[in-house]
Amino acid sequence: MAVVAQADVSGESDVAARRAAGLPRGLAGLLSGTALGRRLGMTALFLFLAFLTLYPLAMLLYGSLHSTPPGMAGEFNLDGYREILTHENIIILVNTIGLSLAKTVPSIGLAVLLAWICARTDTPARGTLEVLITLPFFIPPILTAMAWGMLGNKQVGVINMAWQWITGSTSSPINIYSYGGIVWHMMQYSTPFLFLFIVDAFRAMDPSLEESSRMCGASRWATFRRITVLLMLPAIVSSFMLSLIRGIESFESPLFFGTPAGITVITTEIYNAINHRATPAYQYATALSFAILALMFLLVIWQWHLLRGRTFTTVTGKGYAPNITRLGRWRWVTFGFCILFFIVTVVLPVGQLAVGSVFRFFGFYSYDMLTLEHYVAVFQNTDVWRAARNTMLLGLMGASATMVLGGIVAYVTVRTRWRGRRLIDALAWLPWMMPGMVLGVGFLWAFAMLPGPIPIYGTIWALLLAYMALGTPIAVRVMSSAYHQLSFDLEECSRVHGASWWQTLWRILIALAWPSFAVGWVLTFFGIMRELSASILLYSVGSEVLSVALLKLWANGQAEQVSVIGLMMMLLVVFFRWVQIKVIKARISTL
Amino acid sequence: MVAVLVEDVSRAFGDVLAVNRISLKVERGEFVTLLGPSGCGKTTTLRMVAGLEQNTGGRISIGERVVSDPAAGIFVPPDHRQLGMVFQSYAIWPHMTVFDNVAYPLRIRRRPKAEIRERVMAALRLVEMEKFAERPAPALSGGQQQRVAIARALVFEPQVLLLDEPLSNLDARLRTQMGDEFRALQKRLGITSLYVTHDQEEAMALSDRVVVMQGGRILQIGAPEEIYQRPASRAVAAFFGSPNLLDARVTGCESEADGRFHLTVEGKGWQGHARAGERFEVGAPVLVLVRPENIQIGTQAAINGAQMAWSGRIATAIFRGPRTSVAIDTGGPRLNVEAPALLNARVGDEVRVAVPPGGAWAIRPEAGN
Repeated sequence: MAVVAQADVSGESDVAARRAAGLPRGLAGLLSGTALGRRLGMTALFLFLAFLTLYPLAMLLYGSLHSTPPGMAGEFNLDGYREILTHENIIILVNTIGLSLAKTVPSIGLAVLLAWICARTDTPARGTLEVLITLPFFIPPILTAMAWGMLGNKQVGVINMAWQWITGSTSSPINIYSYGGIVWHMMQYSTPFLFLFIVDAFRAMDPSLEESSRMCGASRWATFRRITVLLMLPAIVSSFMLSLIRGIESFESPLFFGTPAGITVITTEIYNAINHRATPAYQYATALSFAILALMFLLVIWQWHLLRGRTFTTVTGKGYAPNITRLGRWRWVTFGFCILFFIVTVVLPVGQLAVGSVFRFFGFYSYDMLTLEHYVAVFQNTDVWRAARNTMLLGLMGASATMVLGGIVAYVTVRTRWRGRRLIDALAWLPWMMPGMVLGVGFLWAFAMLPGPIPIYGTIWALLLAYMALGTPIAVRVMSSAYHQLSFDLEECSRVHGASWWQTLWRILIALAWPSFAVGWVLTFFGIMRELSASILLYSVGSEVLSVALLKLWANGQAEQVSVIGLMMMLLVVFFRWVQIKVIKARISTL
Repeated sequence: MVAVLVEDVSRAFGDVLAVNRISLKVERGEFVTLLGPSGCGKTTTLRMVAGLEQNTGGRISIGERVVSDPAAGIFVPPDHRQLGMVFQSYAIWPHMTVFDNVAYPLRIRRRPKAEIRERVMAALRLVEMEKFAERPAPALSGGQQQRVAIARALVFEPQVLLLDEPLSNLDARLRTQMGDEFRALQKRLGITSLYVTHDQEEAMALSDRVVVMQGGRILQIGAPEEIYQRPASRAVAAFFGSPNLLDARVTGCESEADGRFHLTVEGKGWQGHARAGERFEVGAPVLVLVRPENIQIGTQAAINGAQMAWSGRIATAIFRGPRTSVAIDTGGPRLNVEAPALLNARVGDEVRVAVPPGGAWAIRPEAGN
């Protein structure tokens, strides 16, 4: 074994030598008889990934220099970029970054606290609390945005009405349509998101690292400060950067709470430039998209720089029993705190949707206003049915296709030493730093510029391809971590005992990796169901999805019907989340 | 009859020669062990026989069939070599039961259901695991997983059984037990086995023949006693324990009836007799190997008159339970002695030590350096 390890270090020459020998280590290398088939397969994979990622990126650059909308004759100039350089856009940039920072910092604090409670204390029902805390992450943000729009409305919001009823005053302390409202709504998503990362880091830590600090004479608090926190730092820094990037990409929160208050961020500015101007300013929007992409790129580079050499390997495959802090009576306080978080982030908005769906008019809550007419209206609304059908179809197809693609890419990059696998990996990762809005603009150009016989533009396929591009980075991550857990021995053992390459792939690798596939599938499905920013640019009449239909209804002031649809979607979310947890449990017991 | 034939086989990783032109023959029913430190090329050799690694030079045959010969463009993939293999990690597939794991090679070969059932149960009976057939594989201890891995490797009666450090993940007591059990099973069924290990005690206890490897080359092939008592080189001698290697000069050399030689040697302040595998010229330098357990320790009177003896002072004494390890300063060489545990040795004691006849073996000083 040491020889193999030693040879690995020597890098490229080693790879070349193995290729010359025609037999790299690992199962896939044993395909020595089908070198041609492998090359063809790799080329096809490369072309498809390039179409999903490189092509829209290139079209973005092309479009930003092109003076007319996609598909029309025009000239090339720098007007788009010249238009970006205005005072308003500086404010927009400051808004975007400022809002993202303003929500990331408190979210980190909250997430660390919640993660600590769930992973390292004896708070009751921690397993359930963990599921409840992460639930908001799976709810489409458009739903909670609408619910909070109703809850925090200055005139008829439930919170202000309750305040007035309790205190007797006539003032309205809460106005969701404000900077605070945007931050508040974004926090509801970034906290569970950060929690997912940080709780794993807390849990994966080898308890002997802390125990040895205690043995060296450090107190519990000193140990927490000097050992635990510092060991967690890489995980915290990397999740901070991720959250910051997500905040800049965020579309729903600023759209719902910023636009009415006159607060604009980059994503809403792009959206407005295309959808809400007398003549859509494609060149300007595309140039802006390209600029935000550059910003993302810088952030990602900065993240790499920050994390260089700081990935402590405290995370191992071992299941440690972490140190548990006994809280005594305080454990009911921490329990209450977690429940409060769940109530605020899930129960309140879902409750608002439920209440909103059964009263005749939003804001007028009395017995004689109770009605089921909105349910009837929604079920008779053919547009809604069509949108639901489209969403389901896209969800099923998109999640399946994305996971298959992710599974193949992960296999090529993790399990083989084929030439070009690093390039494939990089291409599949590229959408990770593209906001949905930017990818949407890119695809807008990409589809319009396709030659005539390929009618993707304005069809459901346009959305499918965009969803696949957006979902691929996560699919690849899920599948490669699944493959990493399976030792090469499991495959080689199968080969030696008489199974061919295909038999081994099917009976061993796929049989072992399918639970991860299922988990990734559900994640991708959620991703598609909640997607708004790319959909809103790429849909056309007949190919609306639910999130777009909801936005349209909301814009028409039909908050009651929105509540009905939102409630249905919530049921779906809870159902899938339940299935997913079952699958994860099953996997843990067999692996 | 030859079961595995390795002829002049090499394996290069870039500029690194992991295996350097080795040749090896395994007879049918024989148990051959590849022994060496990590990185010596023993696992690579095994993987080349399995077909999991391709040799860059030479030829490998299994039975009558050439399975790999890069010069002739022959490479038989592992699934067509009819081998059984036990991996270091056991590679028990976690998504199957014990029965499914063992049945896998038969199912792949599309055997009838009744036959599969019968042969799997027979294989599980061999390793005393028939009660666990319906257990999910992850619910097994290390020793049980090892038994299942052996049953799986034996179930379709492979031509050769390959084992890659199968005992290294077990604790010491279980290791000995499983090793002895497996050796008994191997002898009973007459399975041709090629075994890889870095543990010399394991290699000696199990094997018919041991192949000592270092740096991608074979140093010596021989029965365990031969490798241990009559090593061909200093490197082989040093691989087992911490032997005493004494510089000496040949003063006489006679051939013996068994083809070996009887030497009279003289060192710094001592002289005696040693046996050797080759002829030495009188006056030639020689290394005399004396195993620590072959040195007797006693009082002046008891040892006096022995032909190869020293007086000295005990420098260190470590009680190890079954024996006591003693280091003795003789003024000349410092001697490591494995003494009986009953010896009441204290540091500083004056003692007399001697090597009984036949306890010394001579090798060329430059060999293996």
